[in-house]
Amino acid sequence: MSKKLSGMMVILLFMMTILAACSGGDKAAEPVKENPPATTTDTNKDKPADPAPAPTPAPADDTKNDGLFPASDKSLNPALAKNRKDTLIIGMTAPKGTFSPLFWSTAYDKYVVETVFDSFLAVQGDGTYAESLAEKIDVSEDGLKYTYHLKPGVKYSDGTPVTVKDYLFALKVLHDPQYDGESDILADKIKGGQEYHDGKAKDISGVKIIDDNTVEVTVTEVNAQTKVDLGTIELLPESYYGKNFKFGNLDSVKALSDKPIGSGKYIVKKFTPGQEVVMEANPNYFNGAPKIKNLIYKTTADETRLAMLQTGEVDVDMVSVNEDSVEELKGMGFLDVNIFPTNGYGYIAFNHKDKKFQDVKVRQALTIGLNRKDIVAGVYGKFADVINIPESKQAWAYTNEGIEPYEFDIEKAKQLLDEAGWKVGADGIREKDGTKFKINFSATADNPVVESLLPIMTKNYKELGIDISAETLDFNAISEKRKTGKFESFFAAWGLTPDPDSTVYITKGAQNNLAYSNKKVDELMLKGKKTLDIEGRKEAYKQVYQELNKDLPVIFLYQRRDMWAINSRITGFDITPYKNFTYSLTQVQITE
Amino acid sequence: MKQYIIRRLLQLIPTMIGISIIVFAISALVPGDFITAKNSPTMTLEKAEQLREIYGLDKPVVQRYFTWIGNMITGNMGDSLQHKQPVTKVVNNYVWNSFVIAFFSLLLSWLIAVFAGVFSAKFQYSLFDKLVTLFIFLCMSLPSFFIGLLFILIFSINMGIFPVGGMTTAGLGAVGWEHIKDVAYHMFLPTVVLTMLSTGSLTRYFRTGMLEVIRQDYIRTARAKGLKERTVIFKHALRNALLPAITLLGFELPALFSGAIILEKVFIWPGVGQVYLESISVRDYPFMLGFTIFLAVLTLLGNLLSDVLYGVADPRIRLK
Repeated sequence: MSKKLSGMMVILLFMMTILAACSGGDKAAEPVKENPPATTTDTNKDKPADPAPAPTPAPADDTKNDGLFPASDKSLNPALAKNRKDTLIIGMTAPKGTFSPLFWSTAYDKYVVETVFDSFLAVQGDGTYAESLAEKIDVSEDGLKYTYHLKPGVKYSDGTPVTVKDYLFALKVLHDPQYDGESDILADKIKGGQEYHDGKAKDISGVKIIDDNTVEVTVTEVNAQTKVDLGTIELLPESYYGKNFKFGNLDSVKALSDKPIGSGKYIVKKFTPGQEVVMEANPNYFNGAPKIKNLIYKTTADETRLAMLQTGEVDVDMVSVNEDSVEELKGMGFLDVNIFPTNGYGYIAFNHKDKKFQDVKVRQALTIGLNRKDIVAGVYGKFADVINIPESKQAWAYTNEGIEPYEFDIEKAKQLLDEAGWKVGADGIREKDGTKFKINFSATADNPVVESLLPIMTKNYKELGIDISAETLDFNAISEKRKTGKFESFFAAWGLTPDPDSTVYITKGAQNNLAYSNKKVDELMLKGKKTLDIEGRKEAYKQVYQELNKDLPVIFLYQRRDMWAINSRITGFDITPYKNFTYSLTQVQITE
Repeated sequence: MKQYIIRRLLQLIPTMIGISIIVFAISALVPGDFITAKNSPTMTLEKAEQLREIYGLDKPVVQRYFTWIGNMITGNMGDSLQHKQPVTKVVNNYVWNSFVIAFFSLLLSWLIAVFAGVFSAKFQYSLFDKLVTLFIFLCMSLPSFFIGLLFILIFSINMGIFPVGGMTTAGLGAVGWEHIKDVAYHMFLPTVVLTMLSTGSLTRYFRTGMLEVIRQDYIRTARAKGLKERTVIFKHALRNALLPAITLLGFELPALFSGAIILEKVFIWPGVGQVYLESISVRDYPFMLGFTIFLAVLTLLGNLLSDVLYGVADPRIRLK
């Protein structure tokens, strides 16, 4: 009897634990894996994001879904944070220790690079660029010759002067056949670059050093991005990094990755892998020494970001946005919360080799017949917008002129399918020429949107008379399907770069795995790429987006939000989707 | 004995070859590679091709296997694609942090398990036994992330006596004794959670082993000749009950180095577990394969070690 009883008790306890585990699980799952904004590579394989305004604009106060939410009660600041008088601690996912401007590969390593190094140009809040290390930049009229004039008297933190020879050194490493970093310098078509890369020339003929502070770069093709591409290469001392550099062997350059020396705002004092990067202000910084003496990038993780902010163990961190996390941060009272649109967007792709998706009416029907608003609201609440073009609403190239919002309307969707020749069959499934309308759909397993997307999509499409079978896969498995073209439809997200040029929707574009082809888009994208003046580019991209909006190569879903929480004793940060926090580090200060 | 060890070591070679083939085959079958995992919207086809060529990913699988295994034999694990550093350096950066908590939790859990197991067996079906059983099942069944987050909430946020995570206080830069104290302060919670998770099954082993031994004739004899109960249990019974545990100890060897993936994430412990997990999701083959082989070697050595120790400890077993 008593055995039985204790047995039951054990079972009961088990069940309680399981229940508890469930709720714990939900909580831990909320934050999405976080990738910071605006760096080309690793933004959002699994995060969603994207541009374009919700069909209903003009938010009232309680629908405010971006901007700054200031701290409500600074007195709640924990003592731990208040006692740090000359140290700023910024939380982030662990950098890998590749703090080399040439070899960084995660956004977090890039943060360190941006703190320790400088380039000719620096990004501004709106995604345009202004002179930083450069005094001025001359562009020849034909757009093929770029002359960068370096500010005189700038020194690296080890005391050696910065010269354009260091710039040439960086270019040589970038052109090296063994170079495996993120940059793709060959795409900029510097004259003689390919020959140098192939080992046919000893020097890059298009780069001419005029004096220590002036370098002239000649390219063979006009490209609107060249000035920025070439101007954002960080300068690093050849005397340090180039000691044992030989053509075709970059090991000696790579080996110094975790001991960077640059001309930047801060100097790396100590790096402990997986824990922290400790930095000290550069008193001789050419743009004025930073006001806070010590800067630490401390490793944090999604599960405990909020806790670290709450106890004051970190001052600043990026937290994934949903209604709960925003509420919680605001509730702490002593944090300034800065929310802005993520530089990227989520979408549902079609395989354009598949006959049924080749009809624009079908694509439109699938867009109109999908309740995108509910899907997005189900995950992010108000902190995301449904989009209709593949551009961030904060980008200079963004437009909503002549953009069809494709509001959810199931009747209209049915009508469009009828017009396209897909008639409802005996079993309720539409068919055309004897083929049933069936979609095999794949979605990335680790994206929170999928949980909201699948039920709504299945319900909506069933109502339209479409048989949909869905599977969730690992991100890489979807990439593979995409690469080999063995898919019908999938959900994924793209990151966006500050510049609107991209190869995603152009015919045979490197990133166009959907087999999408539209002559008008190709022409306009090329025009946008080759036009140097910004107004002309705006016009070209406006037309691109209007055409994409009409033609719907994919179902554009949403642009979500990024959020920075900043302890209110820290003032002076200027963070936008384009401008990382690193660019305002010199003006940031600690106030009581 | 010497011969036995040499023979076993030689047997490791074909086993390792088999393991390396299987591990490599699995990694090659997994869809995607390091370049597709980047998902860069601006990467050109030329750049992608160039990267594949540098990394040797454009070669046929069989050729890649032989290149890799050739390098491994000479002790060159290659460079981690993601860290852009030699695999051995990356492992060295992180593995000792994992080792520290694994080692202390191993000590603690064995200590607790031995005592809990012995007393549970001694007082089988007593209230103590039932409470211990209940408690260890509770600890075992709680998922580590849940219990970790719960502890953080209680001890770090509400009571404020332990840090939320990390291994050292940011910017403290302590050395020597101060540094050890700081690390100990940070590792308290993760070690406790890890111990809670691993003590359970061990206690059951010891309890069962002890129950078996305690009923043997020689224990009755020991009692009959008037030995103190404590001597009977801890000297005569425990030694024999611990024999099967030697096998378990062998399995602990790889566990010391493999890292606790989830727990490391929750407590932001800079261990190798998370790095390993990440290497899988970004398809960082050199690191993924290198570390897997490292663990495989440890497992095999652990097995060998436990067999040898068993022979040493138990005279009934003769190794030939």
